[in-house]
Amino acid sequence: MVFSSILFMFIYLPVVLALYYLSPLKWRCIVLFVVNLIFYGWGEPIYVSLMIFSTVVDYVHGMLVEKYRANDRLARKIVLSSVLINLGLLFFFKYIDFFIANLALIQAFSSLKPLGVSLPIGISFYTFQTMSYTIDVYRNDAPVQKNILKFGDYVSLFPQLIAGPIVRYKDVAEQLNEREHSVEKFASGVRRFIVGLAKKVLLANNIGMLWDVYKVMPAEELTTLGAWLGIIAFSFQIYFDFSGYSDMAIGLGRMIGFEFLENFNYPYISKSITEFWRRWHISLGTWFREYVYIPLGGNRKGTLRTFLNIFIVWAITGFWHGASWNYLLWGIYYAILLMIEKAFLLDWLKKAPAIVSHLYTLVLVVIGWALFAIEDLGSCITYISAMLGGGAGFTNSTVSYYFMGYLPSLIIMAFASTPLGVKLLNRLPVKSRQIAIPVLIAFTLLISTAYLVDATYNPFLYFRF
Amino acid sequence: MSKQKISNLIQVILFLAFIGGFFVINLITPDRAFSEKENRMLEQAPRFSFDSLFSGKFTSTFETYITDQFAGRDKWIGLKSFSELALQKKENNGVYLGEGGTLLTRLDRPDENRLETNISAVKKFAGDIGIPVYFSLIPSSTEIWADKLPKNAPSYGQLELIEDLYSGSGAVNIDTYSALYGHKDEYIYFRTDHHWTPLGAYYGYRALAEAMGFEPRPLESFTPATVSEDFFGTTYSSSGIRNVKPDTIVTFVEDYEGLTITNYTTGSAEEGVLYDYSKLETKDKYSMFLGGNTPLIQIKTGHEGPKLLILRDSYADVLIPFLFEHFSEIHAVDLRYNKSSIKDYIAENGIDEVVISYGVTNFVSDANIFLLGRQ
Repeated sequence: MVFSSILFMFIYLPVVLALYYLSPLKWRCIVLFVVNLIFYGWGEPIYVSLMIFSTVVDYVHGMLVEKYRANDRLARKIVLSSVLINLGLLFFFKYIDFFIANLALIQAFSSLKPLGVSLPIGISFYTFQTMSYTIDVYRNDAPVQKNILKFGDYVSLFPQLIAGPIVRYKDVAEQLNEREHSVEKFASGVRRFIVGLAKKVLLANNIGMLWDVYKVMPAEELTTLGAWLGIIAFSFQIYFDFSGYSDMAIGLGRMIGFEFLENFNYPYISKSITEFWRRWHISLGTWFREYVYIPLGGNRKGTLRTFLNIFIVWAITGFWHGASWNYLLWGIYYAILLMIEKAFLLDWLKKAPAIVSHLYTLVLVVIGWALFAIEDLGSCITYISAMLGGGAGFTNSTVSYYFMGYLPSLIIMAFASTPLGVKLLNRLPVKSRQIAIPVLIAFTLLISTAYLVDATYNPFLYFRF
Repeated sequence: MSKQKISNLIQVILFLAFIGGFFVINLITPDRAFSEKENRMLEQAPRFSFDSLFSGKFTSTFETYITDQFAGRDKWIGLKSFSELALQKKENNGVYLGEGGTLLTRLDRPDENRLETNISAVKKFAGDIGIPVYFSLIPSSTEIWADKLPKNAPSYGQLELIEDLYSGSGAVNIDTYSALYGHKDEYIYFRTDHHWTPLGAYYGYRALAEAMGFEPRPLESFTPATVSEDFFGTTYSSSGIRNVKPDTIVTFVEDYEGLTITNYTTGSAEEGVLYDYSKLETKDKYSMFLGGNTPLIQIKTGHEGPKLLILRDSYADVLIPFLFEHFSEIHAVDLRYNKSSIKDYIAENGIDEVVISYGVTNFVSDANIFLLGRQ
């Protein structure tokens, strides 16, 4: 189930909120677990068993770590077992066909056939969450969870189940047992959900249609300006799609009393790639830093080792995004940029005029999106070379048509990528704000519903991860 | 209570009233079977079974069902269309909103293989059949009315495409393009439908007459009759663009005593009509012409003349009536619904001449034309 659908907004959500708030406090954890499973199982009921499997396995591992804490070697083995099971699930469901397909290219394995496993939604997100649980318990960063239903709530919590933010166990450990519910919190959840809904339905889907045009444009019609226009459209699409989803998740969390950490912080205003990754998909970056980069030694073991660690972490980060070579390349692309920045460029950028560092960052990020967006390597190279001037000329009338047609949208999206809107709203006198906010909420609900009812076009990008 | 608290409370109530309110309204409003505006059956409540649940069919049908049956669906779609226009959007679902509320379907680059297959089937047919074969490709409104398109709006060029196809057809090619282009300021295409109007077909008929060597009737000799003034056609439905004026349907050829039409819509012979006025009560008003899509229609015109076979798509529905007085029999075959051997049909029915008539946008995408190339 996706948030931006009639089903979620006008059936699932009202029913879940009613059930949740009408049931007595001690029943809420089981109500939550059941509605989470319905949310998850809606598309593929069979994978509910996977969710229950993950819950039970990681719950047991947590208890075992707690029990054998005195025996560190054993405790470590238990953590390792949990990590292996989670990665095993991820490998089997997400990567096995990629490896089979590539092995089959080698003569000796040419008889191998892909298994055709369908990807359970959100598996990349929740396996990372459950791994963090056993590790946090082992590290004494969080207490063990003795109530399996409450643990199940953590594993399957519907707001962030299928597209994050990736919530580390220690960040919500206390909230699972006890959380605050108030009108203020609920209202802030509503506001946040509405912001996310607008980003997804009104901005991302809209600009996505422009990318759809350029994504399939034959090489002989793809001009340099056109290629840039197309990939800029994708850059907006993926940002508003993904950060909109995170906003909705955070908002929904607040409606049922949870407080999640932020996942995006205006990434497109960054002045370096290093800064970009502190502002983009923050929960994933934090996860990798905490559970991979620092355990590998981080930056404490000399320059060479730091570079190697950066390389490893970013290659995995790239590959996490999808079982295809282009995602790996995309990760390595960022590894190289981050190494260069660490070596010397960051100091230069700090001294450079703001416009230079902004442009530098945006251009590289946008080129990165071309690597990310086009899975087929041949087409990807064709596209990027068109961006760099090797296309069918500089521009043509098609580019003018789409540029003029999407100009209002592009301006709105450039504005929405910066904190200016929030700043303006906060400048308003308190009284006008108290009127403006409900009006904006009503307006967004009405227009978004119109788009959802007209939902011939509502693909959700982050489903595949 | 502080003002801030009241403001928060208002936001919460607003949100809950909206989602909860529509939850209740949707429960109590009755389901509709058909949407006039969209010209399609709406999804109905799926029947639950564990099989359909586990195959995913139940859940996906259910989602379509509740979206299709959402209270006030047409008004929501209108609101979406309105906000698109407010954003200066001139395109929706591959249809442009052109000057004067004209809806023009974009043609994308055609598939090379399909082009090759189709044109070589025509060539093989024309070379083998042993009677004259005429070939007419009808450009779409997007091409002839290109000056109504939004500025710079891309659409694949049809003139070059038609010339290309003609050079490999092996048949006598009809210059329908120039015939239409010469009258592009007239009402030769519907604004909300992909077809040409009977007036457009009249100019197509003149081009045909010139190539086939008969004298066309002058336009002034017909008595035009306006039969509908509220026709919303296919592009209106597919684009989702609202706020455009409906089309008018004007007929030219009059029905007459001695015209016998046999229609095979259902597979067996039935008496057909020139104009099925009952279709004007439905959404799909264009199908009033010869009763709409059909595998085979046989017409005895009551006039003297050769026997004509026309291999065609729905553009020919408005063209055929103009041909009555020049042929004794007209047989119209639609290859999409009729897979029998054309060669045998020609021999069995003593056909003298063949016209292959297609809208060019249909011709480049049709998957049945290869049937012509069969022995």
